[in-house]
Amino acid sequence: MFSYFIRRVLATIPVMAVVALFVFSLLYIAPGDPAAVIAGDQASPEDIEKIRKSLGLDRPFLLRFTEWAWSLLQGDLGTSMFTGMRVTELIGQRIEPTLSLMFVTLVFAIVVAVPAGVLAAWKVGTWIDRSIMGFCVLGFSVPVFVVGYLLSYFFALERDWFPVQGYTAMKQGFWPWLENLVLPGIALGFVYIALIARITRATMLEVLSQDYIRTAKAKGMSTSGILFLHALKNASVPIVTVIGIGVALLIGGAVVTESVFAIPGLGRLTIDAIVRRDYPVIQGLVVIFSFIYVLVNLLIDLLYTVLDPRIRY
Amino acid sequence: MDTQRRGVLKGAAAVSAATVASTLAAPAIAQSNSRVLRFVPQANLANFDPIWGTQYVVRNASQLVWDTLYGIDDKLQPQRQMIESEEVSRDGLTWTFKLRPGMKFHDGTPVRAADCVASISRWSNRDAMGLMLKAIQKELVAINDSSFRWVLSKPYPKMLYALGKVGTPCCFIMPERLAKTDPFKQIEEYIGSGPMRFVRNEWKPGAVAVFERYKDYVPRNEPSNWFSGGKVISFDRIEWVIMPDPATASAALQSGEVDWWESPVSDLVPVLRRNKNIRVDIADPLGNIGAFRLNHMHPPFNDVRIRRAVQMVLNQEDYMRAVVGSDEKLWRRLPSFFTPGTPLYTESGGDILKGPRNYDAAKKLLAEAGYKGQPVTCLVAQDNPFVKPMGEITADILKRLGMTVDFVATDWGTVGQRRASKSEPGKGGWGMFHTWHAGADHVNPAAAIALRANGEKAWFGWPDVASVEKEIEAWYGAKNLEEEKTVIARLNKEAMDNVVFIPTGFFYTYQAWRSNVSGIVGGPLPWFSGVKKT
Amino acid sequence: MQSKPFADQLPDLFVPKPVSKGFIAFAIRHPTMSFGALLLVLMLLMALFAPWLGTIDPTELAPVKRTREPSAEHWFGTDAVGRDIYSRVLYGARVSLLVGFSVAVLASLAGLIIGLLSGFLRKVDGVLMRVMDGMMSIPPVLLAIALMALTRASVENVIMAITLAEIPRVSRLVRGVVLSLREQPYVDAAVTAGTSTLTIIVKHILPNTLAPLTVQATYICASAMITESILSFIGAGTPPIIPSWGNIMADGRTLFQVKAYIIFFPAVFLSITVLAVNLLGDGLRDALDPRKAKIS
Repeated sequence: MFSYFIRRVLATIPVMAVVALFVFSLLYIAPGDPAAVIAGDQASPEDIEKIRKSLGLDRPFLLRFTEWAWSLLQGDLGTSMFTGMRVTELIGQRIEPTLSLMFVTLVFAIVVAVPAGVLAAWKVGTWIDRSIMGFCVLGFSVPVFVVGYLLSYFFALERDWFPVQGYTAMKQGFWPWLENLVLPGIALGFVYIALIARITRATMLEVLSQDYIRTAKAKGMSTSGILFLHALKNASVPIVTVIGIGVALLIGGAVVTESVFAIPGLGRLTIDAIVRRDYPVIQGLVVIFSFIYVLVNLLIDLLYTVLDPRIRY
Repeated sequence: MDTQRRGVLKGAAAVSAATVASTLAAPAIAQSNSRVLRFVPQANLANFDPIWGTQYVVRNASQLVWDTLYGIDDKLQPQRQMIESEEVSRDGLTWTFKLRPGMKFHDGTPVRAADCVASISRWSNRDAMGLMLKAIQKELVAINDSSFRWVLSKPYPKMLYALGKVGTPCCFIMPERLAKTDPFKQIEEYIGSGPMRFVRNEWKPGAVAVFERYKDYVPRNEPSNWFSGGKVISFDRIEWVIMPDPATASAALQSGEVDWWESPVSDLVPVLRRNKNIRVDIADPLGNIGAFRLNHMHPPFNDVRIRRAVQMVLNQEDYMRAVVGSDEKLWRRLPSFFTPGTPLYTESGGDILKGPRNYDAAKKLLAEAGYKGQPVTCLVAQDNPFVKPMGEITADILKRLGMTVDFVATDWGTVGQRRASKSEPGKGGWGMFHTWHAGADHVNPAAAIALRANGEKAWFGWPDVASVEKEIEAWYGAKNLEEEKTVIARLNKEAMDNVVFIPTGFFYTYQAWRSNVSGIVGGPLPWFSGVKKT
Repeated sequence: MQSKPFADQLPDLFVPKPVSKGFIAFAIRHPTMSFGALLLVLMLLMALFAPWLGTIDPTELAPVKRTREPSAEHWFGTDAVGRDIYSRVLYGARVSLLVGFSVAVLASLAGLIIGLLSGFLRKVDGVLMRVMDGMMSIPPVLLAIALMALTRASVENVIMAITLAEIPRVSRLVRGVVLSLREQPYVDAAVTAGTSTLTIIVKHILPNTLAPLTVQATYICASAMITESILSFIGAGTPPIIPSWGNIMADGRTLFQVKAYIIFFPAVFLSITVLAVNLLGDGLRDALDPRKAKIS
């Protein structure tokens, strides 16, 4: 198993290399000049050219890529062209809000969706099943920002139950931290509730039709015992898979939620960097995102061995 | 099973309700500390070198950290700021400046003349008036620690205005070691002698920037008046909170999570006005000028008749409504290139923009000029709230005029790059783009780079009109206000007749603040001195 | 000799239930799928016949009439430059549906090809899957903005960006089916018998991938329509000249508190359409799944 783990880690390297090359090339050919943005509206073309030179933007592709890749391997993600801050510092500042948001969203989604899926599977075909599934699908059908605006308007502005925007670091208190994340977490969570509830229901249905469930029932085991002890455990593998896939989508959804709720996270940093063509930051972010995605999938694969003893590598 | 789960949920709900109730006090009220001001700026503060990066928002933040030698007041007259006294020789060629005593930088070192000399040198490499000064400079040197001398080869009567203007880049004074940084590279530290220190380790670019009071700052005795007078800040801490989403900023202002919003969207202002705790007023009495910038280098706009055809059908009312909304007080027609309400304002030559629009005459003019359907490549930035609606109106009028429109919807960064291209449209070039200029930059030709018509060296669009250039030079040489006005009237007519660019109208924007904040005045920048919070 | 039967007919003990044939009966048996399909067809018709449903030119500007509330003249009100929202919503259906369907079809096709290649050719499997992993980990948002900056905002760029982001998942799905089918004895037999790979693919593999692929395609369609609206939200969607539900909402987002109707109407239409597609997908999946379990 350990050798499998090592092999998987090694296999991520070519993936990351592909990602790095792809994003670097894309930015290289994309128009939009950071020098022009820096120089401002009133600058002359000569000024812009001088700034380009000083940022090293006029050098050939291969040279810039090799330089960047080499420092990347040494853990140096470069320096932002605009703020002059190191990319690692920029990312470090903003990673806590994004991770907090993702965490709260996932917890909310799992806490609501798994029981909902179980309930729907247990009462399959009845109106309970249909309404739960219908509600879930509805959550998936409304864009995140619309939900965000609605929640913000009704619960933050009209009723002042939650703050409208912002992020409070964990070290300033648990409840203030949570307060800022409730509404964005719910807004982003709707999408995952649909996904997770649906998968939970589908796998529970499969599992519940198995023979050993009938045996357990015949033996007199209570419904809750069956549902939780046998069924859910066996259904956990696909559920966890969906969560893994969901992480990549979360990053995309976080961008919108962070804009609507003014959370200073990685999503907003990405948009800002892209709009300004702050190449080092964009490249660094994409690498980090891919890394997180790959890592999460690796962890999930490892989690499988815990959840399902039949899975061995 | 059911009862079990229901119980858990109910319990969770109870716990969370209690939590919410107990921390209800937390959101708005606890943050409303009267020594802390939370300000929402017009744009993201991405970098912090006001000479290297000349966006308005960088200048606005820099005024807290750095001081200038002079500063204009609300009559646009330069007043002394860091300077105690100045002397001009009789022939107008030698300027001697003496600094105020006791000024210190944030790292404790005193402000010396050498710092001023280095800062002026760096600034004059990037600024239009600075470059003019540099071209006629014979000597710029520190005489001793508190005085310096600037010797020119020709008189430059607008010297003090150049040093005190608000047009970017402003001549901020930095420590010599920082000012020695190449003007095309960023400075690495943000040390100044202004009333606030920049708290570098709390800066989250794109999210929040923090300033703290500098206790050793010695303000002037005069009351603060725009960029001049004593800068007295009554806050220990000023936080600039970046909010990309106007709806969020509006909600935050209403709930009291921020104190002052620099540029609320005009459509949201009625809601803000209805709120008892919010005040709204015009942000900058000098307003803004919308611009339709044409490419004089390539067809179809290289023909003045086609440019005039567009002038004939352009309806400033439509553009202004699209930009600032339904509030009539916020805009007015602008048959001029200069700022209304300022001494040099003139409408001479601007009749073509007034009155009912004439599509028939315009189409005739197009036919006369031999327009054969060449596409007009319109670069329209979607992420800019002024440019985006203007672009849509333009596409509409050009189509109605019978021109072929090549609408390129992209972002401001790409527009910034593409407009620099002198290639033909169709080969990466462009036909027109929209932008806007601060009214403060168009009170006279000095800061109005958009007016220059010296061909290849002009601003994007490269208008080439000798008569306009002649009048601009005449203005620089004008000896008094009467002379200036005569020249400007001629200049306006020449620029209109030759369509250097087309102004799409004059508009104001609002600013909004909580009612417990006082002392907020309008101006080309948000002024922080004199602002108090109860 | 004609004779009367000497005993009464015994009653039938097991009366076979008549399985009504026909479209309506099929629809009634699969309510979810039918409901979804019905909604979707309604939307399609609305999009197709937009010019005849009381609309005006969706690009017609009238800044003097900007941000008017819904009224008899403008059923859904006007937007920030005075365009009629009702017309924009109906015409916008065309773009949103086009984006949804194009992405679904293109991503399925590309994913199918890549999945087949990957499943059959061991040598390219490793490389292809690593590339797919890489593509999956790049946020589609980034891709969309880069593409937009590369040329301009357009419907094609939006479709391309979203398609690229969806291909990896489809290819994984197809690959999974191919890998599991390859081990089946009948496929093995076919290979031994010398059947060409192409025939194997067409006769054995494809029929088995069609079902999950179709279901997946509907989900991709729904997801693409939502993604388009999110891209418009961040400014990388379709240009304003071409109305889409996404960019109508994006335009009106700042005015949410004062003129909620600008977001409301496109949001409702988008939600209904996405719901319809999701229901269709759910229904298809249930209908095509031979083992629909029920618990007593």
